[in-house]
Amino acid sequence: MIRHQIRLAAAAAACLVLAACSQPADMGPPEVDVPTPLPSGIDFSPEIDTAPVDESCEPLASYNPGSTTAAQALAQLDSQDQISIGVSQSTNLMGYIDPATNTPAGFDIDIATAVAQAILGPDANIRWVPMTSGEREDAVNGDRVDMVVRTMTMNCKRWSNVEFSAEYFHAGQRLLVPRDSGITGLADLAEDHRVCTGNGSTSVRTIADQSAAQAVTVPDFNDCLVLLQQGTVDAITSDDTILAGMAAQDPTLEVVGEAFSQEPYGIAFQKGNTDLARFVNKALADLIADGTWQTAYDKWLKGPLGVAGAPPSPQYRD
Amino acid sequence: MLAALRFTPGQLRGVLAVIAALILGAGITGMTAILAKSAVIEETTSQSGRLSVAALSLYQALSQADATAASSYLTAGTPSDEMNQTYRVAMRDATVALATAAGEVKTPADTALVAELNARMPVYTGLVETARTFNRLGEPVGATYQEQASTLMREEMLPKAHDLQENSLGQLNESRSDAAAFPWAAAALAAAALGTLVWAQMWLSRKTNRVFNLGLVGSTVLLVAFAGWLTMASLASASHTNRSHEDGSGPLELLAEAEITAQQARAEESLVLIARGEDQEAAERFEEHFKALTDQGRLLDRLDEAFADDAELSANIDTAREAAETWRSGHDEVVKLAQGGKYNEAVALVVGEDDTSLWASFTTLNDALTEATDVSAERFAESTNDAQRALAGAAAGLAALALGALICAAVGIQLRVAEYYA
Repeated sequence: MIRHQIRLAAAAAACLVLAACSQPADMGPPEVDVPTPLPSGIDFSPEIDTAPVDESCEPLASYNPGSTTAAQALAQLDSQDQISIGVSQSTNLMGYIDPATNTPAGFDIDIATAVAQAILGPDANIRWVPMTSGEREDAVNGDRVDMVVRTMTMNCKRWSNVEFSAEYFHAGQRLLVPRDSGITGLADLAEDHRVCTGNGSTSVRTIADQSAAQAVTVPDFNDCLVLLQQGTVDAITSDDTILAGMAAQDPTLEVVGEAFSQEPYGIAFQKGNTDLARFVNKALADLIADGTWQTAYDKWLKGPLGVAGAPPSPQYRD
Repeated sequence: MLAALRFTPGQLRGVLAVIAALILGAGITGMTAILAKSAVIEETTSQSGRLSVAALSLYQALSQADATAASSYLTAGTPSDEMNQTYRVAMRDATVALATAAGEVKTPADTALVAELNARMPVYTGLVETARTFNRLGEPVGATYQEQASTLMREEMLPKAHDLQENSLGQLNESRSDAAAFPWAAAALAAAALGTLVWAQMWLSRKTNRVFNLGLVGSTVLLVAFAGWLTMASLASASHTNRSHEDGSGPLELLAEAEITAQQARAEESLVLIARGEDQEAAERFEEHFKALTDQGRLLDRLDEAFADDAELSANIDTAREAAETWRSGHDEVVKLAQGGKYNEAVALVVGEDDTSLWASFTTLNDALTEATDVSAERFAESTNDAQRALAGAAAGLAALALGALICAAVGIQLRVAEYYA
């Protein structure tokens, strides 16, 4: 009997030892979140700027060209044989690197080229300087470039830091949505809609004020297109020019609704450099008059924006 | 049973039982300690199928894949055969390493890391392929897809691969210090057995008026030999294990880190151009990686120091440093070109196929580090072989000595017991 018990105990002990050695720690399948690719710096609940908008000036009024000459303008350049122009190289249709040729192309580039040729002649040596929208003001004031032609909206806040040319394009914010979304304007946006826009843009406030949707911001608005294609956001808001550049890359998307903001584009110069601004205003008036503007518009924006388009009429303060 | 102890034969048998138990204990613990050491050394030597090796090659392959994917985006959808091949090889290495790691993980944390990496793999390749397609179609949005792929790699996949590597190295170091530990249990049992043997001989000589019991003397000699061999084998293998860590796996980890840092710098360099000069953060990350590689006292300097007395490895590091310098000056040129709007020329310099391109200097740097890794791995294997040689035969030898000591003691005492019945 005792012997039997001992055997039993020994067998039990052996089982324990074997079990301890052969069975690994209990490891069920791990729980893994569904991976969603997101750009770095994305903000799903951006702060809404509530500071009052500076309306103390007339943003469209630039300097009258008068009798300013090319020589006077040339004297204002950092270098006498080349002009440095700050542009975007990543805004399709406006200023971008054509992947097929790896050279800058777009509406802004065509306007900038025409202006540069007016100053330096038809063989103008142009140095294209790529920059983000946040770098534009420092670039002209810090002598990094002579001028900036980069979808830059003229407003009073910016007028206090830089000089602007007369308006060379009139843009406005609209919405880019999938064709089958049923969204036709700001009013169709519901609470569960996410609207993507660049950070630091005024659109965040517009979305909060005029729609029920939640704004999502990214450092580079090109990320918005990828997020829309991936279904992470439901719409994009930005200037219609920029949205047109996105729609042109994806036939399932369309620009919808009325423009809900005024975005007059101007060329920016160093604060105080009015001579250059005056001469460029003359060059802009010329290229509008001789059809260069319309040719550039027809080439880049007419199709995507779906309207014939007309050049803005310049306004001067003096 | 207890009554038997009152009589001398019973006492003799009791003494024998104690001595036998102590010798058996010393023999078994000594043998297992030596066998465990061998197993750990085997694990640190073996170059395939181990978690630490798989995790490291996963980390390297992922960063290589990302560097190449970003570079080839710049070729406007027409990468060279060499680039295509490099990307494919890197993705294969990464997936094979991940599968190997999946079979080797032993903790829930590591299992989760492997699963998370696995879940991201198809997302990453999907983004890369989408970027390629848009690029071929001439749509600029491809650039954003490529950036998103690199973001996924940089912010999620590489850190997880790094964690996996750190965990596995931690586990390896743990077993390494176990292997270097002195087998105290076996030594204590051997000492106790020796003490008992000596006492037994004194006791017997008092009882029987005979100075020597040949069996017990033999047993003592064998046990002394046992203790000596155990001590020597343990100390020798510990010093070899430590040396192999200092000369072998330490530099190996350093080399891998240098390689990965160079690859990440390469990826960031490409991203600066993919973002058309509009991604300041990528430019800053490039600088950080490059500094980590070439600044005084950083990776290349540390490698120089580690390989100071090895001409072959030093030469490799010199080649790497030279290539890094060429790359650096070329990169400054690229920044100047890109800032000056000469985008085409900047791209040509970064991904061109001729010897002066940065692709060439990066490849030279990468190859020099890979070669150094191979040589260093060989050295590592050599020193672990030495460690194993120190243990060779020790397990069997110790077992034989313990058994011999046991038999001698048994015979010696049994002869005395027999005298009572004679």
